[in-house]
Amino acid sequence: MESNEQQQRRELQQRITVDLNVPAPPFDYNPSSWGQRIPIAVIASLGVLISVYLSLYEWGLISTVWDPVFGEQSAAVLKSDVAKTMHYWFVIPDAALGAVAYLGDAVLGLAGGTRRWQHRPWMVILFGIDVIPLGIVSAVLVALQGTVVGAWCFLCIVTAIISLTLVFYAYDEVWASITFLYRVWKRTRSKKLLWKAFIGVPFPESDEIALSGSKPKRQSQLAAPAVGGRRQAAQG
Amino acid sequence: MWARTVEAVLGCWLAISPFIFGHAPGDTYLWAHDFIMAALVFLFAVLSWWQPTRHAHVLNLLTALWLIGGAWVLAPTPAPAGYQNHVMIGLTLLLFAIVPNDASLPSQVWRDHYAQQSAKHPAA
Repeated sequence: MESNEQQQRRELQQRITVDLNVPAPPFDYNPSSWGQRIPIAVIASLGVLISVYLSLYEWGLISTVWDPVFGEQSAAVLKSDVAKTMHYWFVIPDAALGAVAYLGDAVLGLAGGTRRWQHRPWMVILFGIDVIPLGIVSAVLVALQGTVVGAWCFLCIVTAIISLTLVFYAYDEVWASITFLYRVWKRTRSKKLLWKAFIGVPFPESDEIALSGSKPKRQSQLAAPAVGGRRQAAQG
Repeated sequence: MWARTVEAVLGCWLAISPFIFGHAPGDTYLWAHDFIMAALVFLFAVLSWWQPTRHAHVLNLLTALWLIGGAWVLAPTPAPAGYQNHVMIGLTLLLFAIVPNDASLPSQVWRDHYAQQSAKHPAA
């Protein structure tokens, strides 16, 4: 006798006959898996917390800012002319803009299934557009501290390190999506199909193109999209 | 639907923000703006739960751009808290409004695609 739960699981597997955790070429792992993406969201959330704290100071809602290394220099950076100019440009303080950007890393990192590098490339690329320039901007802001302001801000440097860590962890998924789109273009030379692939509309060749470009040892998976069957075999 | 919940909460926050950030009592534009925009943000989020209007949340991209653009154009320098609040809500809304409804699954078109495939080639 099959329990109700087992039966439900079997039905679900029959509906989703495709492996949602298949490795994404050119990697031999899945960069869209939860194990890859949840740490990114956790690190980005840390960036949100620090940025919100720094914005509270720039807004004047708290009167001091914590800095165990450079002491008063943090305040000089956060109230510098550069910071004020950015506040005028963006309407909100630069730290608040940073907080939204880190929140974006977390939200766009979590949105989408475990095969989103193929099923929703637009989202992965938006995620990359948020993560990668953010890493560059925060590094530039830290360089400005030393060269223009002449003071250092410990927590700002921590957020810059967080940004660069995020770039390091996020690039593989973005690369998987970009190379998938490139393979679609190279194989079909069709702008229409490239667009469909980008916005995540299925077309007959999509799965095959997505899984081609893997190393030879994984060729077997090309012909076997039905992991449901594999799992059932393991159960049986 | 977690993104829709956040959008609805942001709508509520916008609705109470005239009281929090103390818009001047005579500033009819800001009061009306915040209440009307709050209603729209909330409406577009909640409508997304109903199948025929499930894409309504995309309209929150427009409300988000309106909130950011309005503050950017109209706010004096330095910007009062009410306008800074608009930019914060707008940017956050922009993030959440692009998140699909069933974000953790492949999109509906892909699920249909695979369902069709398995109907044509049923697993043994």
